[in-house]
Amino acid sequence: MTLTLFLEQIVNGIILGSMYAIMGAGLALIYGTMRILNFAHGEFYMLGGFFVFFLFAQQGLNPVPAVIIAVAGVALVAAIVQRLTVHVLLKREGWAFSTIAATLGVSIFLQNLALALWGERFQSVPYFVDGLLQVGEFRLPWQRVLIFVVAVAVMGVMAYVLRYTRFGWAVRATAQDPEAAAVVGVPAARIHTMTFALGAALAAVAAALLAPVFAVNPWMGLPLIIKAFVVVVLGGLGSFPGAIAGGFLLGIVEAVGITLTSSEWRDVIAFGMMILFLWVRPWGLFGVKER
Amino acid sequence: MFDPLAPQGRLAVAALVLALLVLPLVWHDTYVLHLVILSMIFGAFAVAWNLATGFAGLKTFGHHAFFGIGAYFSALVSKDFEITPWITAPVAGLVAACAGLVVALPVLRIRSVPHVAMVTLGFAEIVRVLLTVFRETTRGEMGLWGIPAFDGFTLPVIGEVVFNAAEKVPYYYVAALLFLGTVYATVRMVKSPVGLALVAIRDSQDAAESLGINLTRYKLLVFSASAFAVGLLGAFYAHYILLLTPSSVLGLDLMILVIGMTLIGGVGTLFGPILGAFVLTIGVEAMRGVGEYRMLIYGALIVIVVMFMPRGLVALLDGLGPRFGFGRGVRLATSDDAPRPG
Repeated sequence: MTLTLFLEQIVNGIILGSMYAIMGAGLALIYGTMRILNFAHGEFYMLGGFFVFFLFAQQGLNPVPAVIIAVAGVALVAAIVQRLTVHVLLKREGWAFSTIAATLGVSIFLQNLALALWGERFQSVPYFVDGLLQVGEFRLPWQRVLIFVVAVAVMGVMAYVLRYTRFGWAVRATAQDPEAAAVVGVPAARIHTMTFALGAALAAVAAALLAPVFAVNPWMGLPLIIKAFVVVVLGGLGSFPGAIAGGFLLGIVEAVGITLTSSEWRDVIAFGMMILFLWVRPWGLFGVKER
Repeated sequence: MFDPLAPQGRLAVAALVLALLVLPLVWHDTYVLHLVILSMIFGAFAVAWNLATGFAGLKTFGHHAFFGIGAYFSALVSKDFEITPWITAPVAGLVAACAGLVVALPVLRIRSVPHVAMVTLGFAEIVRVLLTVFRETTRGEMGLWGIPAFDGFTLPVIGEVVFNAAEKVPYYYVAALLFLGTVYATVRMVKSPVGLALVAIRDSQDAAESLGINLTRYKLLVFSASAFAVGLLGAFYAHYILLLTPSSVLGLDLMILVIGMTLIGGVGTLFGPILGAFVLTIGVEAMRGVGEYRMLIYGALIVIVVMFMPRGLVALLDGLGPRFGFGRGVRLATSDDAPRPG
């Protein structure tokens, strides 16, 4: 193993980690505001992949509008799903479990809807940008550079929105106390729906960027949602900065881990790390200890 | 609250058990028997999962790990060391129970439902990936075959009993034994003081603890008991189907199937998971015409039941409830639902 190769692995780990971070951040945002674990998150990712495939690979749209339309489409689907299921269940007793069960059902439904509509073929999406970035012996496809740049930009925008806009204030107020937020005029229910859609949109962004790297198929969401679970556990469930840190941490640890063992061990490393974390620090890196 | 088998209900239960036991004598269709065998396996699986989730309130999403561990352990040991499955299957149950203790340890410290869901699911995924990675032993996704069937034996009145693919009846009775055994043990446990302790834990861990219930002991007990049953069922499955792949016995699909059965039947009731398992296993076969849409309908069904029938199908039996004593009084809520923000 040469140093260059090792460096390439680490860089790839960081890039993949940025995608885990985006997935995890969506999940964390939803958990943070509603305290629900969204099992259908992987299927929003899958829908994002298919939408990009149709718009970009099939219709030949320019990648920028294609990705924007795909992400907006997923956000719309997510908003509808939230209104029909989570929104109703949140008002009932036992919602912590029933929302998991309902989103699990939604996940199976969407997965098999995609299978019925679009078939089980693995669809490939061409790279948005071609070519390689080469520095000395170090090589990196521009597509991966693009993934990283977009991911960082999205994180920056999200952080700005949450911190400095009225919408962001409303989200954080609702997360802290929906009733108190409602008293001062924040429409908590609408904020819930919007946050759910926003979280799903983040998954769709990750899917759009990763679609050219991994193939698009009805089951593509499952590995990613499980990784997103690991990320939010590492970062602390519901913590946006935690999810970002957790995503990069997971990406790097996986990259180092598989250079030491083999790529088959990737998932073992990820889940092992999650269980270890749950054991010693269940509230994660950034989470607050709560029982 | 727990009166699942009221005196009036005993007759109905006895009739159902009798029907189950005489079925293979009157209906020889191999396919029908196969369906009922699968229904019994999944029914018992759902009952065992429901013991942890519905009664003790430990919302796990990783019980398929125990099914897979039981199946692979029994299959590999009986195959490679030529030990009879009659011995390896119960041992596989014990191995699964030990695995259950390992999973229960982190779960002891966490109360938030999402965290428990993720740690249990993560454990199952680790087991699945490990079985895929060690393909020299397990053959990974290529499939483990050549698993020995149960050894035949001779009974005094009936004569020789052999286990092979063509002859379902012996398997049927072993499955019935496991099914009825699991259900009986669960009923006994739920109706005993242990069951009351479990429900107390589900309804409020703090209140239960303040009444002197040892949370650690009961959680470990329920986890290992439930894992033992599921591991044993997995072992039976291995020696019945005779072909294992990590995705068939350890895929999330299997867990979703069992969760769906329990939710649709009625979580937290004694009869619900059984009803759900039979209705879905046989119903899904009846829907063969719709083939590829089965899982689509399945997903929609889970959502609909959660939304509109949170008590499951057994709620429909409530009209008969007082008379037959079927499951009543389900409560999904626990005090451990993370407090609404604020």
